Amino acid sequence: MALAAAEKEKSPEKILLSLTADLTESAEFGERLLEITQKSVRVCLPDGMPVQVIDLEDVASAKSESLVSGGRILATLKTGEQIPVVSYTLTHAEVFSDAAHIIDEMAKGESPFIALEQKVSRCPKCERLLPEDTTVCPRCVSRSKAMLRIAKYLVPYKKQALRLASIALVSTLMTLLPGLIMKQIIEAYENSLGESELFKWMGIWAGILFTMVVLKVLNDRLMVFLAANISADLKNATYRAIEFLRLSYFDRKPVGAIASRVSMDTDRIWHFLVDGLPFLFNNALILIGVIVILMVQNWFLAVCIIMPFPFIILISMKVWRPISNLFHRASQKVARVHMQLHESLSGIRVVKAFAREDHEYKKFIQRNTDFRDASLYADQRWITAHGTMNLVIQSGTIVTWTVGGLMLYRNQISMGEFILFNAYLGLAYGPLHWFAQINNWFSRAMAGAERIFEIMDMPREIVEGEGEQHTVQGSVEFEKVRFGYDKSNPILKEVNFKAEAGQMIGLVGHSGAGKSTTINLICRFYEPNAGRILIDGKDIQDLSLQDFRSQIGIVLQEPFLFHGTIAENIRYGRPDASIEEIMRAARAANAHDFILAKPEGYDTMVGERGVRLSGGEKQRISIARAILHDPQILIFDEATSSVDVETEKQIQEAIQRLVKGRTTFAIAHRLSTLRSADRLIVLDRGKIIEEGSHEELMAKKGDFYKLVQTQSQVNEIIGIA
Amino acid sequence: MSYPKFEVIEQPAGRLRLITDEQCWLEFKPVWASPLSHPGKYLALLDGKDKEILIVNEPDELDEGTRKLLISELERRVLTAQITEIIEAQTEFGVTYWLTETSRGRKEFVTQSLQENALWLAPHQLLLIDVNGNRFEIPDTQALDPESQKKLFATV
Ligand SMILES: Nc1ncnc2c1ncn2[C@@H]1O[C@H](COP(=O)(O)OP(=O)(O)OP(=O)(O)O)[C@@H](O)[C@H]1O
Ligand SMILES: [Mg+2]
Repeated sequence: MALAAAEKEKSPEKILLSLTADLTESAEFGERLLEITQKSVRVCLPDGMPVQVIDLEDVASAKSESLVSGGRILATLKTGEQIPVVSYTLTHAEVFSDAAHIIDEMAKGESPFIALEQKVSRCPKCERLLPEDTTVCPRCVSRSKAMLRIAKYLVPYKKQALRLASIALVSTLMTLLPGLIMKQIIEAYENSLGESELFKWMGIWAGILFTMVVLKVLNDRLMVFLAANISADLKNATYRAIEFLRLSYFDRKPVGAIASRVSMDTDRIWHFLVDGLPFLFNNALILIGVIVILMVQNWFLAVCIIMPFPFIILISMKVWRPISNLFHRASQKVARVHMQLHESLSGIRVVKAFAREDHEYKKFIQRNTDFRDASLYADQRWITAHGTMNLVIQSGTIVTWTVGGLMLYRNQISMGEFILFNAYLGLAYGPLHWFAQINNWFSRAMAGAERIFEIMDMPREIVEGEGEQHTVQGSVEFEKVRFGYDKSNPILKEVNFKAEAGQMIGLVGHSGAGKSTTINLICRFYEPNAGRILIDGKDIQDLSLQDFRSQIGIVLQEPFLFHGTIAENIRYGRPDASIEEIMRAARAANAHDFILAKPEGYDTMVGERGVRLSGGEKQRISIARAILHDPQILIFDEATSSVDVETEKQIQEAIQRLVKGRTTFAIAHRLSTLRSADRLIVLDRGKIIEEGSHEELMAKKGDFYKLVQTQSQVNEIIGIA
Repeated sequence: MSYPKFEVIEQPAGRLRLITDEQCWLEFKPVWASPLSHPGKYLALLDGKDKEILIVNEPDELDEGTRKLLISELERRVLTAQITEIIEAQTEFGVTYWLTETSRGRKEFVTQSLQENALWLAPHQLLLIDVNGNRFEIPDTQALDPESQKKLFATV
């Protein structure tokens, strides 16, 4: 559906862009086409009948507006009249917000580059809706392809795998032997061959039994070995893939959901490999063996045994389907219990502070009761279903015994054959209980495998070795940069600025203005939706990402410390740093003294999120980390937000020492701390509204002046000079 | 009444204006402060920078013209659909496929991990959030027909 503007012909009515919206004028679900030509914007019925035509010449501007559960494009006419163009649900919000931007630019006489792709929401094969940002339809995933990909993980262990397969083959075939021996013994009795015959066969049987047990042990040990290795390899590979995913992926998914891919999905595959696959393989082999042997012995008996199979399988599928849904439902409820537990325990301080223990207890009881009921219901239904299955399978036995018995009575088969038939009946029918389940396991494991492979196939942030290695001098330029975490909601709109190498730039603005976002773009955590970012005149996208990032030092708004010692945390970016270098950096960050005061000094362990340190201490450690890293571009996002005035002064001094000769971006809410910046950039709702030195901006008495004024008034009130 | 006297007019077409004694707002939007637990109450008006201008606790008390304009604007702004019938709810591979009849016509949608995306707002009030973030509300599960209820409770 994308048409490049470059291809457009002279004809003004040629459709440049056509998108499908999913809401009608009266906001009911239904299709509408939005068509943009050189001259006009049209909204049409699915059959092409226009319901609204707007002449682009009449349009002054256009924008998209986020609504609850959807959005709409609004056009403002030159008369000032505002008309809704088209509405859509969130499913299409992204592409329509880009379309609004295109209409806006066209209305303003520009000719934008038009290349929009509408997201596919249905599986092209089965027409089912696709679950979230995946292009994998869980129903249509090619099972065999996923299986093959898992099988690739077997390659490093092919010796063991081959050994396993041969052992499994031999031991399964051996399970068929006792039946044959029984037949021999009975026949020997009928032919009065004497007791020695019995002992001979029993000796063989005992030997088989022993071999089988040994083989089974070997088999299972190999199986566990393989499964554990494959699962570990899969986990490693998944983790590695996740590490290099774009940050925007992490915004959309809760960390828990991502972590579950690493653990749960790989575990599902593990279970399938350990329980499901061997079961399937063994029993399929046994079944084939049973059928072949019986066919040779007596084809009619073989048919008798197989006949009820299709019915049993059909019935069991009918019985299990709703049950597996019930179990799924119960597992959701238990996840809710865990969520509740996790939440109230992580917030235990707040719970206690507000004396809300009883309230939390009630919530817990509620969810736990829900879970109890759901799982009880599922289990009871399961027991009933299992009983039903038993009945069905047992009646299979009744039928075959009736037929077989009748044949025995009529001397159509021998006693030996009857015994054999009976022994194989159990072998063939026993696993039937679980066959229907296998399909379920298999589906789950394959869906898990698909989810994992999907992550592995996602566009990675870094392609190793790609991009230019460049020693950064430090100039940073934003050229018409537009960006939104979610494309339909732009956070930065047309940002232009240039920081010369070595300059210190202060970013100021209200909370939510887009300061941290600007910094995220400099670090290339996200890619701009439009425009370019130039480093020393080179497009940031052409530089090698890892090489570039290793030359930036950043102190984040929320300092994060890893579980480990203080020294380890400081040298995170430069693992080879000596303790002297670490101490020098800590001194420069004014962190040295408080570190020495800790019982183990630099070897003090800081908890998972550095819980044993105060906010200001954590910040100073992360400043030391940035200093040791010795970057050409330095970034401080509110490095002094959680400290007292005295500590702030110390941190300020540290920063002052640090910024010489480096390009520095600093964000601070206390505007006085940015006085030493070469230039201040004032952001408001994603746009630069003022730019200049502290003095210039103060003299101008504009927005920055107002910000400073309100702040000093506030400071007077709360008593900070 | 805790809010200043105000009036909403449409001028030019499609564009609402808010007029209070002191000021005229060209850019403003109405929102429900608590649409799910207090439907039809607490109507707030926000300015272009999303700052509250005023809030009306009982919109029913507003004069007819203003109320109509605001309510119809709100109807355009809130695209949440109310589910009136569940035709199909099928869970497979951890994904639930829904086919429903809603206040906005028939709709097919998909939800993932229902423990996060099926929110019980009250004992009989359920909000389903599909994979794209679209919202579907069941204001009273007990008011659904028995067949729909059965399908719902086999799923969530
Ligand atoms: N990861 C994200 N995903 C979606 N929206 C985000 C994300 N991070 C920030 N936002 C939104 O982007 C806007 C700008 O955020 P940003 O963090 O740049 O503000 P800021 O200027 O740094 O504010 P503050 O001074 O409070 O730190 C905010 O409205 C915020 O809600
Ligand atoms: Mg910030």
